[in-house]
This record gives sequence, structure tokens and C-alpha cells, in this order.
Amino acid sequence: MTPADIDKLLLEAAGRSVSQEPDASAIGSAKAAIPQSLEPVRPLAPLRFFVSLFIVLFVGVAAGGAAVLGMYGFPALSWTERIVICCVLLVTAGIAAVATAREMSPAGGHRIAASAFVLAALILAIAFAALFHDYDASRFIAEGVPCLNAGLLFALPAALVIGLLLRRGLVLDWRAAGIAAGTLAGLSGIGVLEIHCPILKAPHVMFWHLAVVLVSGVAGFFIGWAAQKLRRS
Amino acid sequence: MQSPGIHGESPAADQAAEGLENLMARYQKANHGAATALVERVSPQLHRYFMVQVVSRRYADDLLQETWLRIHQARHTYRPGEPVLPWIYAIARHVRVDSFRKTRRIEMREQQVDVLPDAPIKTAAEGAAGVDLEVLLGALPESQREVIVMLKISGMTLDQVARATSSSVGSVKQKAHRAYEKLREVLVNRGFGKMTAKQAE
Repeated sequence: MTPADIDKLLLEAAGRSVSQEPDASAIGSAKAAIPQSLEPVRPLAPLRFFVSLFIVLFVGVAAGGAAVLGMYGFPALSWTERIVICCVLLVTAGIAAVATAREMSPAGGHRIAASAFVLAALILAIAFAALFHDYDASRFIAEGVPCLNAGLLFALPAALVIGLLLRRGLVLDWRAAGIAAGTLAGLSGIGVLEIHCPILKAPHVMFWHLAVVLVSGVAGFFIGWAAQKLRRS
Repeated sequence: MQSPGIHGESPAADQAAEGLENLMARYQKANHGAATALVERVSPQLHRYFMVQVVSRRYADDLLQETWLRIHQARHTYRPGEPVLPWIYAIARHVRVDSFRKTRRIEMREQQVDVLPDAPIKTAAEGAAGVDLEVLLGALPESQREVIVMLKISGMTLDQVARATSSSVGSVKQKAHRAYEKLREVLVNRGFGKMTAKQAE
């Protein structure tokens, strides 16, 4: 049995089952959904506009947050470390920005929110592992918790702004939007930490700094899941 | 990239020949005629999409109306120049899933007060008349069924289906391929493979 045979049987079956076109009343009801006095609407800005906006937000939060907390981390890094970290953060933020912007419009493109989250965590982990080789784990928790708190503190306003921008569009899958927005917000938080935090120990950076993205992405997913459930109920 | 089912071939009316994208762009500019034309041209196809996946015609009518309501509320999220059909289907798909979940929630709270008669079992004996669409699609998982309905019943292209389902063309192809394997299995089990082989002889 070839695909053409299956097509033929499928179309025949469809013809028998769904031969009826919608009647005039159904079309009339559909038309009634559109009011007579229409207001013109401004179409949603192009995808690249929102991607740029999200990247500007990421850079703004990272720079602003570090300016508030103090820029002690950046001078402690070598030029290579600075360039690698900046590039990695910009690339991962770019991917997360595309993933978030795609969720704003129906049929906005291939959904990559979960991949963006995993990719961001992986790329950052590899970059940190390659750059930092001081494996001293003393004061691991005492130094780590304030970093995590600071990162999440600045991820929160970023997430709120992203959430407001998302509401400009029509989000069909809030879980995907949540994970993408959470990842982007978390990356803003890591951005703050990379400029602010002067601790260059590998366990500290790889656990506590990375945790900002992980916590933020997972929280975004659950907030999105709750929002979706609330909307449907 | 219009589907064959809704493409007006007669040059009688200018509006019939006008692209859906243009109609949508004019709808956004508050042109009521364009909005009505869009409803008239897309509704039969959307209705078919709902009909093959829901139980009753009335339910399909309700879903159609609900879809246009949502389209109206979210018309600003259509970006001019982009294909409009995947955008409409993405909303329709969402309306269907939402409605299905609501119905399931209600049904879970309902109690059956009477024993319903068993549905008649359709077998290969009915082969001469062809197999039911319900039987064919019922054998497929939700994601594959949706792809087959969009590709074969709604007449959309692979790219349009990929956009409407927020997935990649490769993923749509894979789902369609798996669905065809499953459908072949179902049809052969029902004696259709033998029938076509005989026909070929």
C-alpha cells in the first residue's frame, strides 16, 4: 500500500465524513464575531524589533545592576575572560530573546524556548569550566547565597518588563513563554554578577552564578504553567 | 501559498482573487468588507478542520465562532506580509485544545445515569464502502492526527503546518511519515492492502 493509496482512502473518507460545508447560520455567527464599527489596529512590531528590545533590556539590567552593586568583578577578570564571558552572555541572551519574541505571536516560528534554556545553561557551564581553574570550595555557601540572591533580585525586574512586553502580543503557550522569559531574565541576573562579583573560584561561579539562570528558567516555566491554568479555568 | 480548498479560481470577483494576506492587512485597517470576505473564505476550511476532530456539527460551529472571536481580539498580532493561514490555524488549534480541556473537565464531573448502547464495530466487511475517517484518525496519536488533518484535509503545505504548530518542517515530515506507517498498518489489518493489490492486478 503506497502513500498515494493512503491519501486516496483518506480523502475519500474525509469526503464522506465531512462533506457538509458550514451552513449560512454558522458563517453568520462567525461574521457576527466581528463588530460593524471596527477600530484600526497597529500590527505587532517585527520579530527583530522585540529581539533587539530584549537584548537592550538584558544589557541595561546587567550594566545597571552592576552599577548599583559596584563593579568589582570586571577588573578582576583577564581580557580573555572578559571577552569570552561577554560573547557567551550576548549569544545566549540573543537565543533567549529570539525564543521569547517568537512566543508573542501565533505561528511566530519554531518553538525553541526549552532548547534556549538548556543551551544557555550548557554554554555557560562549559565557558565557566574552561575559564576558571581555582577549585577552592571554602566559604562555598557563605559567599554563594548572597550572589544567588543578588542575581535573582535583578532578574526579577527584567522578568517583569519581559512579561509586560509579552502581553503586547498573543501568547498561546505560557509555559514556553515563561521558560524563555525566565532564561532571559536569569541571564540578565548573571550579567550583573559577572560584572559585580570578584570571586573567581570555579565551584562558586559554576554553581551559584549558573543557579540564577536555572532557578529563573524553572520559575518562569511554573509561573507560565500557573498562568495558563488560570486562563483556562 | 494558499490552500487549494479555498483558492478562488473564478476571476468573477476581485475580492475572491485577492490574497488572504491582503484581506487580513485591510482587516487590521478596519475594513469591514475585507474582514467579512476573510471569514467567508477561510471558514469552510476551518469548519472542516474542526469537523474531523470533534463529535458534533454544532460543536464545530461553536468552535468556528470562538475562533473568529479570538482572531478579532488578537488581529494586531498578525504581522503584515507573513502567511496568514498558519496564523489563523495556530489560533484555531489553541481554541480547539482549550475547548477540549474544558469539555473533558465538565465530563469528568458528570455522572452517567444510563448504560449507553455499544457503538457498532466497523470491520473489513465494510471495505467496499471504504473506511471511516474516524477509524483512520482514531488510530493516530494527537500530534500526528493534527498534522495529517492540516496536510490532507485542510490542504496546507508542510511549511504552513510547521508554522501553525510552532515546529520545524523536519518535525512535521517525521510526524507525517510515522502517521502514514500507522495508517498503512491499520488499513492492511482491515484488508485494504490486499484489496489494492488485487486492484493493481
